[in-house]
Amino acid sequence: MDPQLTSLVVSQAETTHIEDTLERLVAETGANYSMLLDKSGQVIAASGDTDRQDITALGALLAGTFASSREVARLLKEKDFRVLFQQGVRENIFTELISEQWMLVVMFDKRTHIGLVKVLSKRATDELASILERVKLESRAKDHIISTNFRTSVEDTIDLLFKD
Amino acid sequence: MALINVAAREIHCKIVYYGPGLCGKTTNLKYIHSAVPGHAKGDLLSIATETERTLFFDFLPLDLGQVHGFQTRFHLYTVPGQVLYERTRVAVLNGADGVVFVADSQQNKLREDIISLQELARNIQAEGKKFLEFPLVLQYNKRDVPNALPLEQMDHYLNSSIKVPRYEAIASKGVGVFDTLKSISKLVISKL
Repeated sequence: MDPQLTSLVVSQAETTHIEDTLERLVAETGANYSMLLDKSGQVIAASGDTDRQDITALGALLAGTFASSREVARLLKEKDFRVLFQQGVRENIFTELISEQWMLVVMFDKRTHIGLVKVLSKRATDELASILERVKLESRAKDHIISTNFRTSVEDTIDLLFKD
Repeated sequence: MALINVAAREIHCKIVYYGPGLCGKTTNLKYIHSAVPGHAKGDLLSIATETERTLFFDFLPLDLGQVHGFQTRFHLYTVPGQVLYERTRVAVLNGADGVVFVADSQQNKLREDIISLQELARNIQAEGKKFLEFPLVLQYNKRDVPNALPLEQMDHYLNSSIKVPRYEAIASKGVGVFDTLKSISKLVISKL
């Protein structure tokens, strides 16, 4: 990842592509929902029955779990753990790394078989990897989205909101 | 790295509170959570030990609302300060857009402050970023304790080479908490 790139700008068109990929994954696996996260824990896109949980908090926690497993891998002199599986009584979570920067998360219950999730997630992560590569390239050229006016307005809002 | 979602018209930024054990990182977030209006904040999530020490992180989402048609959100995190959690701090620091370094003003904590700040510099460089260009703000916390180091000495030991904005604070009473938050938020936005 280019460390000098300070923002990832996801265009309308690419968001649609990402959502289509997630939607297809949910439909074909019968999962409850799936999400695309970046490594800082932000939810880039989600599809399926996402109303049931606070996905912002989930994103932060799942990215934290993955980041922590990356450090475990480092200690074991393993390159990385590309997949994490959390098995519950009712719900299961399958998380797969995309490139080094993003994560695909699939939430599913006992109606869905883990094998199917694994196979179809692999296909989805390949698709998402190529979309996200394009997004990264486009992000370099899209600096104009954040205008001086925008920055001034955000600063005013910060002053208004963050006070005792 | 900030995320700008054009379709949903959202901007997300990640700010991490870093510093030695018991310097007041969680106290900062607790105060912010108590003072920000309800519509602008989510739940404060803490992964702590039974003795209330941070084990993994605290997480507080803040929502600035619509600015120029963009929903602007800041996600605040703290790291666990205890020495043994160094690798956990690296994990939480992943993808941060800005850092608040909370220093403990007590005389006997200066060494821990310095070691923690050096560790932060190493960890940011390990992400491939330039530490001196990275959005960073210092907060000298616990200014009300009797053995607080004079400001000049804090500056000399912690800020003489990096020269970043720094604020005096008593986080338990909310003093300086929002000055710090405002400063780092604006710095992060200026780098988007």
